[in-house]
Amino acid sequence: MSGDLAATSPDWVDEILLRGADTDVCLHSDAPIDRAALRRMVGERQSRLAAAGLGPGGSLALRLPPSLAYVANLLAGWRLGAQVILLDHRLTPFEVDTALERLAPQVVVAPDRTRGGALRMFADVTESVAAHPGRPAPTPHAVIQLSSGSTGPSKVIGRTAADLIAEIDRYTRIDGVPVRGERVVVLASMVHVLGLVGGLLYGLHAGVRIRPPDRLTGDSIIHAVAAEPEPVTVLGVPFHIGLLTSVPDPPALPQLKRMTTGGELVPAATAAAFVEKYRVPLGNMWGMTEVGVIATDLSGAHRPALAPAPGLEVRERAGELLVSRPQSPYVGLSDPTRWADGWLHTRDAGAVDPVTGLVTVKGRLDSQVSVGGLKVDLTEVEATLGALPGVVAAVVLYDGVITAYVQLTSPGTAATVEAGLAERLAAYKRPRRLHVLSAMPRTTTGKLVRDRSVLGQAPREGS
Amino acid sequence: MSDMDVGRDDIVAMLASLGDRPAADIPERIDSMELAWLLHQAEQRYGVPMEPDDSQLGRMGTVTGAVDVLRELIGNGKR
Repeated sequence: MSGDLAATSPDWVDEILLRGADTDVCLHSDAPIDRAALRRMVGERQSRLAAAGLGPGGSLALRLPPSLAYVANLLAGWRLGAQVILLDHRLTPFEVDTALERLAPQVVVAPDRTRGGALRMFADVTESVAAHPGRPAPTPHAVIQLSSGSTGPSKVIGRTAADLIAEIDRYTRIDGVPVRGERVVVLASMVHVLGLVGGLLYGLHAGVRIRPPDRLTGDSIIHAVAAEPEPVTVLGVPFHIGLLTSVPDPPALPQLKRMTTGGELVPAATAAAFVEKYRVPLGNMWGMTEVGVIATDLSGAHRPALAPAPGLEVRERAGELLVSRPQSPYVGLSDPTRWADGWLHTRDAGAVDPVTGLVTVKGRLDSQVSVGGLKVDLTEVEATLGALPGVVAAVVLYDGVITAYVQLTSPGTAATVEAGLAERLAAYKRPRRLHVLSAMPRTTTGKLVRDRSVLGQAPREGS
Repeated sequence: MSDMDVGRDDIVAMLASLGDRPAADIPERIDSMELAWLLHQAEQRYGVPMEPDDSQLGRMGTVTGAVDVLRELIGNGKR
């Protein structure tokens, strides 16, 4: 189904994603939405985006929470032949402004009004469409996302339509994914790769009905599973396993086929508790924004090992896992330590079994951590903190939560520093604990000490 | 204190059950994932739908604020 023509023509949206009988229900958000209705919504958004100046080769930024508005604008942008930049709706205005200045989209879509409670999974959004003083897409990528930067600014990650189609194709060839006529309860955010491709795009392509629960609670997830008779897969991150496992006496759910999570490693005890309670497989996936799904174990039989997805090769070099990629996914960056000679450095430590080919991921080699499945680079947090007025020095660590140790010019400025962070970093990136030290511990050569036991013992300001 | 009353210790205990953390390790500030967890746990525990409005949500960023808001929500649920 892939091919250069599909990759370069906006027709791929119709051919790969929207094709199907008018009455085929493809999505459920408060009420069933069939393909005719979805095509109509996409068409309306397309007209609105075109009226704002978006056209083939143009650039569009979406700053929307997961919602029908998000889905319709995303598909409309692609259908116009534009490049779509996805910005997490939780970014602060400061982060959004920085991203818009750097990426220079021609049109920006943002929420004008959002209704519904805090736990609502698919927001009820009325969006605003605004022209922005930007430039046409400088690259042929269909989607642009920003990583949390490990050194300096965030990396710009681009994926072509052909690459997205290739990932959808990988999903179709993985044993155990939901198939036509089944459903997927998507808990992972559709703005990020797991929910975007594994939930939304694959679901639309394969005829798998996409159903976010009404709210992000265990009961609501169970309600979504039980609402219809068709077999269902739940797709999320490990946090969602906890939500389901904590429901005291769930009803019998004969529709539930499996739950699959990605985003971070699942502790063995968490997996065992889920399987004990629901008696279905807990599948495991490994992927990254740059590639999408890389390896899976949807039966949970190999946990924690995974089998490389069809069409991808994974190898280990010097303890790091590399994945085959014909081109670098990074826009405007030539860095052989990240991509070289057809191999992408995942920055994940791991091993590949020479006999079975199964991959075991052992954790990050850099300073990236996962907060509820969202990637946060601690060096970004530390650099932002260190650049605030009044901060003499800062060290940011992860000890279950993001924790900052900071020395200030004046002890009274802690609140100002916290306010500065709140302005510059999305809430999920911000330190949960901020310890103000009288002086940062340093080595004899003057370098900041990063050992958490030493930092934990260092005198606090005012003590 | 009635079964439906909610105190700081209850909030901390519910937050600590996310990731099996010791209560002493629970920071004062509550992030968005913990907030979802807390509301889910409170629904399970008190049998009352937790639907904070925007203003209440804005006050649930700390354990102290969450105690106040959950008391309001449980009080409303009982009426």
